[in-house]
Amino acid sequence: MKKIKFRKLKLTKKVFSFPYILFMLLFVVIPLVLILVNAFLDADNNLTLENFKDFFASDANIIVLGNSLLVGVITTMLCLILGYPVSYILSKMPSGKIIVLLYIIPMGVNFLIRTLATKAIFLAIGVELGMGTVVFGMVYNYLPFMILPLHTSLSSIDHSYIEAAQDLGADKATTFVKTILPLSVSGICSGITMVFIPTISTYAISQLLSNGKVFLFGDSIQLSFEQGLYGVGSIMSIVMLIFVLVSNLIMNTFNKDANLVRRSVW
Amino acid sequence: MKKTLTLILIAAILTLSLVPVLTACNNGGGIGGLRGMDTLVIYNWEDYIDPSILDDFCAYYEEVTGDALSITYTTFDTNETMMTKVLKNDCDVDLICPSDYSIQRLMQADTLLSQKAVYEELKPQLDELGLDFKALSSIREDNGYIEEKVVERITGAFSSIECINGETYNMKEFMVPYFYGTLGILYNVNYVTVEELEEYGWGVLWNVQENEELENMILMKDSVRDTYAACLFYMHDYNLFPEGYEQFNIESGHEYTTDYIDSLINCTDDAVLNRAEEILTEQREHISGYEVDFGKDDMLNETVYADFAWSGDALWAIEESYDEETEEYMLDYFVPSTCSNIWFDGWVIPKTVKNKLAAMMFLDYISQPLGGIRNSMEVGYTSSVSKDIINFDDETSDPELAENAQEARDYIEECEYLLESEYEWEEVCSDEDYQAGTNIPDGFASWDEYFDSLEEEVYFNEDEETWGYDGELVEEGYFDDLRRYPVIDNTLGMMQDFGSQNDALVQMWQTAKSGSHVDYSLYIVIGVIIGVVGLGILAYVISQKAKLIPKKRK
Repeated sequence: MKKIKFRKLKLTKKVFSFPYILFMLLFVVIPLVLILVNAFLDADNNLTLENFKDFFASDANIIVLGNSLLVGVITTMLCLILGYPVSYILSKMPSGKIIVLLYIIPMGVNFLIRTLATKAIFLAIGVELGMGTVVFGMVYNYLPFMILPLHTSLSSIDHSYIEAAQDLGADKATTFVKTILPLSVSGICSGITMVFIPTISTYAISQLLSNGKVFLFGDSIQLSFEQGLYGVGSIMSIVMLIFVLVSNLIMNTFNKDANLVRRSVW
Repeated sequence: MKKTLTLILIAAILTLSLVPVLTACNNGGGIGGLRGMDTLVIYNWEDYIDPSILDDFCAYYEEVTGDALSITYTTFDTNETMMTKVLKNDCDVDLICPSDYSIQRLMQADTLLSQKAVYEELKPQLDELGLDFKALSSIREDNGYIEEKVVERITGAFSSIECINGETYNMKEFMVPYFYGTLGILYNVNYVTVEELEEYGWGVLWNVQENEELENMILMKDSVRDTYAACLFYMHDYNLFPEGYEQFNIESGHEYTTDYIDSLINCTDDAVLNRAEEILTEQREHISGYEVDFGKDDMLNETVYADFAWSGDALWAIEESYDEETEEYMLDYFVPSTCSNIWFDGWVIPKTVKNKLAAMMFLDYISQPLGGIRNSMEVGYTSSVSKDIINFDDETSDPELAENAQEARDYIEECEYLLESEYEWEEVCSDEDYQAGTNIPDGFASWDEYFDSLEEEVYFNEDEETWGYDGELVEEGYFDDLRRYPVIDNTLGMMQDFGSQNDALVQMWQTAKSGSHVDYSLYIVIGVIIGVVGLGILAYVISQKAKLIPKKRK
C-alpha cells in the first residue's frame, strides 16, 4: 500500500511540470521547427536552397547584420562601463538593495512607452534622430539588465576575500583586479548575454528613435515576414539564432574559466 | 509504461482543449452571438468607419427583416495582415474592406464572391422585403450611387483578373468602392511655398530645390508600394528612367492616356527597380525618416515640414492645423500636376460569408448619401458616393433618395462645412441704374454690353439687390475642394498588384533602407570607447605610481 501511494505522489509531482513543457512545445519548439522548415521552402512550398543564396548574396543583408552587431557591441560596452561602477558602489552600500530597486522599477513601465517618451524628449530638446539616439535608447532600455546580475554577483562576494587580499598587502587597485573582478566574472558574463542578445534582435527601438532611418536586423526580419517573404525571413531568424547561440557559448566558456579561477582562489 | 501512457493522454487532452483557442479567428468574442439573432462580422481598417453607423444599421435591419442583428466588428492594420488571414482560410467574416491591389490578389486566389451572383441568388428574398440595392455599383450597370469616374478607372485597370480556377473576372462585380483619394505632399506653408511645389513637383520630397529649412525635415511612407510610386513619379518628372524606358520620361513628350499613366505606375522591371534603389538610397540623405501613422502628428507639431501623404490623412491634418488667432491653416496638401496615384478601398464579400443578406444590406446602407457622408466626416477620407448623388434634390423622381441626400447635406452643414463656396461680392452697378440705364460707363450703349465686356460672369444678387460678380474666394465649399474631390483625369494612375515582381520590389526596398555601407561611425565609436577606458585605466595607474614616489622619498 505504501509503495503505491509513494508512486502516485511521484506521478503527480511530475504532472505539475507538464503544462510548462506543453507550453514550451507549442510556443517555442513548434515555431522553431516551422522556421527551420520555412527556410528550405520557396513560395510554392517546394524544397529549395534558394533562400540561403538570396540571403548571403545580398549586400544589403550583410550590411544590416553588420550594423546590428556593431550597435549590439557598442550598447553592451556602454552598459558594462556605466553599469559596473554603479553596481560596485551599490554593493558596498548598506542601502544598496533599495537603490537597485529604484533602477529596476522603470522596467515595470512598458519599454515601448518609455521609448516613445524618450523620442518626445529628444524632439523637445531638438536632438536630431539617428544612430546616436538609437544607441542611447538601447543603453537606456538594457542598462537594468546589466546592473541586476552585476549587483547580485558583486554583493554575494564574501568580504573576507577582500580583507585577505588587503592583509596580504594589496593596494586598492590590486585588490580590485585580483579579487573583485575575477569573482564578478559570472555576473559580467550574464550581464553581457542579457544585453547583447536582445540588442541584436531589437526592432521597435531603432524604428521609433530614428524614424525608421536606422534599419537593423530585427527590422529586416519583421519587414520580410510582413511582406510575406517567409523563406528569407526564416533564414534571417536562423542566422540570428546562431549568433545568439554563439554568444551564449562564448559566455559560458568564460564563465567556466571564471569558476576555475574561483576554485583556485579557494 | 502505464505512467507514460497516462501522461501522453493528459498531454493530448490538454492539446485538444487548446486547439479551438488557437485556431479561432480574432472575432472578438462575438462568435455565434446571441441565440436567435442574426450576426454580421465586419473586417475593416482601424478607425475607418463612423461607429454609430453600426448601431443604426442594426436598427434598420430589424425594421426591414424583423430579425435582430448583432454586428461583430474586427480590424486590421495592414493589407498584408488581412490577406495572410484570408488566404489561409483563417477568417470567418462576412465583409472585408481591402485596398485596390489586395482585392486583386484575393480575387486571383478565388477567395471572394461576385456580388452580382449573390444578388441574383438573393433576388426572391429581396423582392419579398422590397429591397433593390440601387446604390451598389457592383450589381448595377449605371454604377449605382458610386462616383462614375472612380468605377470607370477601376474597370479600366482591373476588368480582367485571372483567377486560379481558370476564369477571368471583372473586379467591378466583386466590390463596392468605399473611400478613394490621391497621393500627394502635405506641407507646412511657412517653410514650403506653392510656387516651389509647382516648379519642382515630386522633387520637393528629394529637396532638389535645396531649401535649407526643408533638409532632413521630410517624411516618407514606410510602405514599399507608396514610396516606390513616389519614386516613379520623381523619375518621370526628372527624366531619370534608365535606357529602354525613356518613354516614361517627361521629356519624351508623351501624351497622357489612362494606359500610359497606368503602365508608368505599374512598371516594376528589374532595370527600373535598380534605378529606384539608387534614387531611394540617395533620398535618405535628405529626409527625416519613414512613417506610416505618426506623420500627421509630426507635421502638426512642426517636427517636420513635408510629408508624403494620402489625401484623407492630409485633409484631417489640415483641419487640425487651423490657428484660431491668425485664422489661417498651417498645413496644405499638394498633388503635383504631372502625375500621381488614385487609390481606393472597397468592400468585398469573402467565400466564408454566413449572412449574405445582411452583408449586402450593409453595403447598400453605407453607400447611401447619408451613410457615405457620415463615414467621410468621421474618417476624413473622400467617400466614393458621387457628389451628384449627394446633391440630388429631385423629389418627384426619387423622393427616398432626395430625402436621404437632404439629410446628408444637413449633416455636412452640421459639421460646419459650406455646401457651396462663398465669394467676395464685387458690385458693378445698382439695380436702379440697371433698370433705368443710367450711369453707363463711357463707350458702352447699355449695361448688358458692359457686362459682356467683363471677364467675370455678371449676375443679379437678390440679397444685395445689386448687379455684380464673384470676387475672391472667402471659403471653399465641401464639394469644391480639389484636395477632397480631385479631378480624376489621366495624370492619376491606378496601382495594381505587382505579382511575381513583388518579392523583387521588397528586396529593393530592404536594400534601399539598409543603406549602401556599414555605418563606419560605429567603428569609430567602438574605438573611442576602448580608448577612453584605456586612458582611464592608464591615468589611474600613473596616479597610483605618482602617489608612491613621494612616499618612498620620505
